[in-house]
Amino acid sequence: MTSLAGLSCPGCGSSNIVDDDLYSQAQLVCADCGFVVSEGVLADEPVRGLDISYSRTTAVTKRPCVNLIRGLERVKEISRILRLRGEVEDLALTYFKQAYEHESFIRVSLQRKEVLAGCCVLVSCRQLNWPITVGTVGCLLNADPTLVGGVYQEMLKVLNVEAPTVNITDVIEAHCQEYKISSSDVPEEFAEESKDLTKRAVALVELAADSWIVTGRRPLPIMMAAVYLAWQSLKPLKHRLSFSLDKFCQLAKVQKHKPAVTRITELKEALCKLGKEIPWVGESVTPGNVVQQVGDILEHRYALLRRALRTHEDAMQAECRSSSVNPPSEEMVSSQISERVAQTASSVEQLPLSNEGGKQAVEEHSQEFEPNWGKRVLFAPPCVSHAKRRRVEQPTPDVTGDEEISDSEIDSYIRSPREVREFSQTQKILASSSGGKSQ
Amino acid sequence: MDSSGDEALDIIITNVVATFRTRCHLNLRTIALEGTNVIYKPEDGKVLMKLRKPKITASIWSSGKIICTGATSEDEAKLGARRLARCLQKLGFKVNFSAFKVVNVLAVCSMPFAVHLIDFTKNNRPIASYEPELHPAAMYRIKTLKATVQVFSTGSLTVTGPNVQNVAAAVEHIYPLLFECQKPKPLCK
Repeated sequence: MTSLAGLSCPGCGSSNIVDDDLYSQAQLVCADCGFVVSEGVLADEPVRGLDISYSRTTAVTKRPCVNLIRGLERVKEISRILRLRGEVEDLALTYFKQAYEHESFIRVSLQRKEVLAGCCVLVSCRQLNWPITVGTVGCLLNADPTLVGGVYQEMLKVLNVEAPTVNITDVIEAHCQEYKISSSDVPEEFAEESKDLTKRAVALVELAADSWIVTGRRPLPIMMAAVYLAWQSLKPLKHRLSFSLDKFCQLAKVQKHKPAVTRITELKEALCKLGKEIPWVGESVTPGNVVQQVGDILEHRYALLRRALRTHEDAMQAECRSSSVNPPSEEMVSSQISERVAQTASSVEQLPLSNEGGKQAVEEHSQEFEPNWGKRVLFAPPCVSHAKRRRVEQPTPDVTGDEEISDSEIDSYIRSPREVREFSQTQKILASSSGGKSQ
Repeated sequence: MDSSGDEALDIIITNVVATFRTRCHLNLRTIALEGTNVIYKPEDGKVLMKLRKPKITASIWSSGKIICTGATSEDEAKLGARRLARCLQKLGFKVNFSAFKVVNVLAVCSMPFAVHLIDFTKNNRPIASYEPELHPAAMYRIKTLKATVQVFSTGSLTVTGPNVQNVAAAVEHIYPLLFECQKPKPLCK
């Protein structure tokens, strides 16, 4: 209660007017007779909401945050679109509630909160063996996959959970269903049953995984390449073979991914390596005509692989015997042909390189061997087989860090007084001329 | 510098970041005016100075704190820092070269074999993490050495750590883990 000078009560004339708010309504009252001198108008209350932010009011405890409810609804929505099991949805909701309260996510933009909802669904799908890709979540949220990735990593840290990596063979079935090329969507000569297409695409993806095409790459373009080749090879007639990837994507009503073109080339190369070993094919197998053989190649995949490894090894041994070996280093090519069907990597080689001194630059010996180990094995990651040429670093002279620094060296970094004067004069001229121009 | 004779792997140091203090206030305008190879960045409150030999870029703040990047060895970083300090001395500042510390070392290394990243991540969870859709390499953080290794499927590694010794130790640490993930694991089905 405060006394206000300069006011007198109309009822009794005293000047003892105090501020006595009634139920938060401002009122000036005479302390002697109780006359209400003036009242605050309720209409003066802030119209656009409270002056205090929501998080500092007591409403937080009475009613949960609107955005939290909205976020939970979004999680349920996404789960329904993806047709997830009940337990996956529940886990996602739990994670969302947990993550939302954390300081990294409580005061961020609404878009980020929406992305968080998608990421919770993603992590619970992965943990409960229902694989979906980050790309799918990005599409559903209409958000940049990089943003989704960033929020996902942060969320994993906040929740302190792990999620198994998605295996591409699990995702491909769902991916194949996106392609609209059943007999109800397209003319008969282009149609394929989803079942057959999936089966062949899975076999192609497994082959790609074994030949180092999958590791380290984005899964979506590989899947697209596999589906395209599967579709072509199921009925390798001229009208399908002449279809480019662009036209195929238009036909199937999916969006083309540019890297898929490179993946198609890489897959065809891998198929050719196996196709060469087919005994009943007379002509040479090239990327141009390999699509017709894909069916046979996939059916007899493992046998062809064994033959290819054996041929490759024989070729390597022949090369070793005929070429001259470098004196300072020895090469031992030890081969292991695995009887087990699934092992697919080729010969293991030990190269004990002799290393002299403490050079920091790339040594000449290793320079020779480094790009070649990719060519020595039958299948290697494409970046290794077509390695970029590295700049040869000039070996820096031995530096100790405590050497003498000569004056002349330092002077080269300092302008002479004349240069300084000229420089500052030029700056002034430039400043004044640009100032004049901008007027 | 190689890690250990028996492995005979070439670890190439590509960047060394070091900091030091001059223990005196520096007038950035003077440095920008009287120094060659200098870029003044008033919006960041710093000056960039580039040395030719060793090839180093230094960020200089008016408080006297300086960060040097671009060196290819710890000794080179020290030499570059001292050269810079001498340069500032000649410009008239009462420089006292102190608190030199190598803060970060970045090195690359190449294995003579390819690495199957999914197997590698499975074997080394949760220290290793791999998201093919986001980044092509698997990330392996060694807490004890405070080093991070990025493993690519081609067998290339990029290692970052607080000093060259840690970086070499990190490569030694991770080599056996990578060696056993060369071949894709047989299918268990």
